[in-house]
Amino acid sequence: MTAADQGGTYPPSQVLSTLRYSRARRLARGLRLFIRRSPLSAFWGCVAAAIFLAAVSAPLLAPYEPLKSDFRAMSKPPDERHYFGTDQIGRDVLSRVLYGSRASLTVAVGAVLFGTTLGALWGLASGYFGGRIDIVSQRIIEFLQSFPDLILAMAIAMALGAGIGTVIVAIAITRIPFGGRVIRAVVLSLKEISYVEAARGLGASHLRIMLRHILPQCMAPYLILATTHLGVAIIIEAALGFLGVGIPPPTPTWGNMLADSLNAGLVPPWWLVLFPGLAITITVLAFNLLGDGIRDILDPRLRGAV
Amino acid sequence: MYSYIVRRLAFGALTVAGVSVIVFTVLRILPGDPLVAIFGAEGFTKLSEAERAHYMAELGLSDPLIMQYLHWIEDIARGNFGRSFFRAESVAEMISRRGPLTAEIGIMAVILSWIVGIPVAIISALRPNSLGDHISRFISIIFLAIPGFWSGMLLVLAALFWFGYRAPLGGASLLADPWTNLQIVIGPAVVLGLGQGAYIARMARSSLLEVIREDYVRTARAKGLSRRPVLIVHALPNALLPVITLSGILLGFVLAGSIPVERAFGTPGLGYAMFTAVSERDIFVMQNLVFLYAVVFVMLNILVDLTIAWLDPRIRYQ
Repeated sequence: MTAADQGGTYPPSQVLSTLRYSRARRLARGLRLFIRRSPLSAFWGCVAAAIFLAAVSAPLLAPYEPLKSDFRAMSKPPDERHYFGTDQIGRDVLSRVLYGSRASLTVAVGAVLFGTTLGALWGLASGYFGGRIDIVSQRIIEFLQSFPDLILAMAIAMALGAGIGTVIVAIAITRIPFGGRVIRAVVLSLKEISYVEAARGLGASHLRIMLRHILPQCMAPYLILATTHLGVAIIIEAALGFLGVGIPPPTPTWGNMLADSLNAGLVPPWWLVLFPGLAITITVLAFNLLGDGIRDILDPRLRGAV
Repeated sequence: MYSYIVRRLAFGALTVAGVSVIVFTVLRILPGDPLVAIFGAEGFTKLSEAERAHYMAELGLSDPLIMQYLHWIEDIARGNFGRSFFRAESVAEMISRRGPLTAEIGIMAVILSWIVGIPVAIISALRPNSLGDHISRFISIIFLAIPGFWSGMLLVLAALFWFGYRAPLGGASLLADPWTNLQIVIGPAVVLGLGQGAYIARMARSSLLEVIREDYVRTARAKGLSRRPVLIVHALPNALLPVITLSGILLGFVLAGSIPVERAFGTPGLGYAMFTAVSERDIFVMQNLVFLYAVVFVMLNILVDLTIAWLDPRIRYQ
C-alpha cells in the first residue's frame, strides 16, 4: 500500500524525483529515436552544437586577437602561421571567422527568441479568440508580409541606427508574420478538439486554456519553425553586414568580412571571400538539416508546410 | 471571375495603403531625429540651432506627422518621387534608368529557376527515396544555404582567375546593346536563379508526390499508361499550381536578394541604388524605394493569384 492509496499524498521530494527521472529518460529515448530515425540530421545537429561551442569558446580557440593588425603580415595567403590567411590590414582571418560566429549566433538566436516567439504567441491569441481581433491581426500580418524580408530588415536597421540590438530587432520583426501564421493555423484546428471544450466546460479561464491545453500542442511546429528561422536569420544578418547596415565594424561578423574584402583592392583575395562565406553556408546548412530532421520526427504532416 | 478580380484588387489596394503606413512609420517616425540619420550623430552636433530648424523646414519635417504622410502620398500619386539628398538625379529618373536592369535579372532568374527546378523535381518524384532523389534533394538543400551574394563574389573571382574575364561595368539597355546587357545581367540572374531553383525543386517534388496519390492519377495508371507519361501529362499540370504561387513570392525575394547580389557583381541596377541609399543613410530615397519594392511585390502576388484563379476553377468559384 502506498501513501496515495491510503488517501495521503507522496512527499513532494519523491514526486519531483520520479518526475525528473521520467523526463530525463524520455529525453534520452527521444534522442536515441532521433539518431536512429535520421542519422544525417543527428550529425548536422552535432555540427550545429559544435558551432555554438566554437562561438562560446572563441577566445580559447582563436590563435590571434581578431582586431589586432599585424603590419608585417598583410594580405597573406593561407600558410602554416595563418591557416585562413590575413586581411589587408594584417588581421588573422581564422580568428575573425571564429569571433564572427558569436555575432551571427547571438543575432540569430535573439531574433528567433523575440520574433518567432512573439509571432507564435500572437498567432495563439489571434487564433484562439478569433473574431475581430483575428481579422485585424491577419491584416497587420499581411501588411508585414508584403515586404521581402531583407528589405524590411534593411529599412528598420537603417532607421534605428547601427548596433547589435537594432539588427536583432530588425530581423525579429521580419520573423513575426511567419510565427503568427503557422501557430494560428495549428490553434484553429486545436480549438475544436473536445478536450479543449471540456476544459472550457469545467470553467477554466482563457489564459489557462491557452497556456495549459493549447500551447503544449504548439511546441512541435514552433520548434521546427524556430530551427529553420535560425538559418534564415543568419543569412539576413550576413546580408545586412554586407550592405553596411549590420553590426558596425570593426566587430568581426561574416557579413562585415565579406564587405571588407571588397575594399581590399580591385580584386578581393580569394581567402577573404571563401572562408567567411563557407562559415555562413555550413552554419545555415546545419540548422536547415537539423530543422528537417526535427520535423520528420515530431510531425511528418508538416512536411512542406513550414 | 470578375467578382474575384474586383475583390482581389480591392484587397490589394488595402494592402498597399497598409504598406505605406508601415514604410512611413519605419522610416519617418522610428529614427529619433531624421537629421541625425542624414548627417550622422557627429555631423548633427556640429549644426547650429538655426541650421537645424532650416533643414527641418526645408525637408518638410516640421509639419505634423499626419500632414507629412499626406504630402508624401500626394507626391507619389503625382509621380514625384523626390530627389536624393546627396545627388542631383531625381529618384524617378533613377528608377527608370536602373529599374529595367533589375527587372531583367528578376525575370531571368525566375525562368532559370523553373528550367532547373522542375526537371530535378520530376527526376526525384519518378523514384522517391532512390539514390537520384537523395542526391538531388541534398544538392537543393545546399543551394538553400548558400547566400547569393557570396556565390556571386566567388563567381566574379573565378571568372577573373581562370578566364581573366570581368563583366562590363557601365549600364547598357537591352535594346541598344544586347550583348553588353546580357554580360551584365547573366551573373546575378544565374546566382539568384539557382538559389530559387532549389526552392522550386523542393516545392514541385512534394506537390507532385501529393498529386500522384489522387484518384485520377490511379485511373490513368489503371488504364495502362506507364509511369512517366502519367506523371508529366496528368500529374504535372495540377502539381504546378502551388509552384506558380511560390514563384510569385520568390520573385519578390529575388528583387530583395538582388540588392546584395548586385553589390557583389557591381551591377548598376536598382538594387545597387538601394545599397547606395542605405549606406548613405538617404532616408527619403529609401522611403520611396522600399515603398516601390513593396508595391511591386504586392502587385506580383495579385498577378499570381489571378493567374491561379484563371488556371484553377476551384478557386474562382469559392
